[in-house]
Amino acid sequence: MTAPVTTDSAPDEAPATDDGGRRSARRYGVLALTVAVVVGLLLGYAGGLLTPSLTRPGDTSAEAGFARDMTSHHAQAVEMGLIAFQKGSDPEVRQIGGDIATGQQGEIGTMQTWLRSWGLDPTGSEPAMAWMPDGRASLRDGLMPGMATPQEMATLRAAQGRELDVLFLDLMIKHHLGGIHMIQGVLDHGGDDDVLTVAQTMKNTQQTDLVNLQNARKRLGG
Amino acid sequence: MSISTPGGPERRPTVVSTGKKPAAGRPASGAKPGAGKSAGGARPTSGGKGKGPRKPVTPVKVSQGRAWGPIALFVAVGVLAAAIIGWGGYAAFQGSKPWEKRAADIDGIVDFREKDAKLVQGGQHQQGPIKYDVNPPVAGPHNAAWQNCMGDVYDAPIASEHAVHSMEHGAVWITYRPDLPADQVATLKSKVQGKEKLMLSPFQGLDKAISLQAWGYQLKVDNVDDSRIDDFIRTLRVNASVEGPNANCGQGITATGTTPRDPQPTQQ
Repeated sequence: MTAPVTTDSAPDEAPATDDGGRRSARRYGVLALTVAVVVGLLLGYAGGLLTPSLTRPGDTSAEAGFARDMTSHHAQAVEMGLIAFQKGSDPEVRQIGGDIATGQQGEIGTMQTWLRSWGLDPTGSEPAMAWMPDGRASLRDGLMPGMATPQEMATLRAAQGRELDVLFLDLMIKHHLGGIHMIQGVLDHGGDDDVLTVAQTMKNTQQTDLVNLQNARKRLGG
Repeated sequence: MSISTPGGPERRPTVVSTGKKPAAGRPASGAKPGAGKSAGGARPTSGGKGKGPRKPVTPVKVSQGRAWGPIALFVAVGVLAAAIIGWGGYAAFQGSKPWEKRAADIDGIVDFREKDAKLVQGGQHQQGPIKYDVNPPVAGPHNAAWQNCMGDVYDAPIASEHAVHSMEHGAVWITYRPDLPADQVATLKSKVQGKEKLMLSPFQGLDKAISLQAWGYQLKVDNVDDSRIDDFIRTLRVNASVEGPNANCGQGITATGTTPRDPQPTQQ
């Protein structure tokens, strides 16, 4: 806004010597003012246009990183939960397995819907865990904290009876501990209210699960 | 602005009649430019008073010197504004570009959705071996069981009949020629392992080193360092799914071998 006002003062000097100069100066002033108003309006319009896309979580935000990585993390819990639901011999193991599978699949839907509403792809441009401080250092062969290795998954698939029950509980306890660590990451570094609310619910659920998993593990013995 | 403190009625006459306002703000020499600054309407009155003594001193040179500063500033602000608007528009345009458009922008990608709409319709379960015209296949009839696509890394060829089903669920299937050097296979493995809706396997008879498939799309590249590999994954993983992001990649066939395994009734 300072620009048009100051220019106005400059041609003001001219009128003393030349009357035609004053008229052109006034025209120049009006033109400058018009341009300033138009630029101001455009800026305001652009600002209004941009604000929603700037205020929603971006591609490299903690929220987007969490939504993507927790989807992957959850997907493995769903896979393990369904194995326990299908093949577990202990009724509580089957029950917990089904509960975790359906619950976490629902949360995957929530997280994927966030990404779509933010105009982001399910796949990020950054490596897994890059949204968390020291997150990348926590990856083991591409696996996020608590995730079972391909060998562990193969063993779980092949297991039967009590061996499967115990292995499922052990793997899921580890999985939840890693998951809670990641949820804490978005609670500490995220800012989106809805994300924080859902993340807190996830944390509560997984902490409750943990108690049940650990008790079941104790019941089944070492 | 000290005039404003006495009160409303006093302020108005002082400004209009004598032009004291600029004098109060800036004494003596500052009066003239100040008067011009206050408003266009104040010109006639202030002109008569201030111009007389000052005219011979420096009028023309000062005005020329001062004119460039504001113009430069004005231009700078204008350019900045245009840049912001332009960038915002570009970002909004790019961000709103649907994944199909971004997929079409990947150099060398083949879009079978355009070429063969019938091939890419979902839900065509079929038992036993299936002959595919495109290899590795990108869509079409497939086995009722899908290949496990939880970031699985298969070290031997897998059945296309299962892999096609995985792609229907949103997986990107990365295949490589069996003679691909181990370090390049390791690079591909690092892109896949731990990430659901991805799987990797060797494939016999590829005409290029690496071939990437998603439902209805294919891209062949010569080298593992080709940046289009990541573009393909980012653009099409899950997005190309027929069934959306909740389709399952677990509970699939984890065995290798190119003969499809029809689901058998369990003996429980």
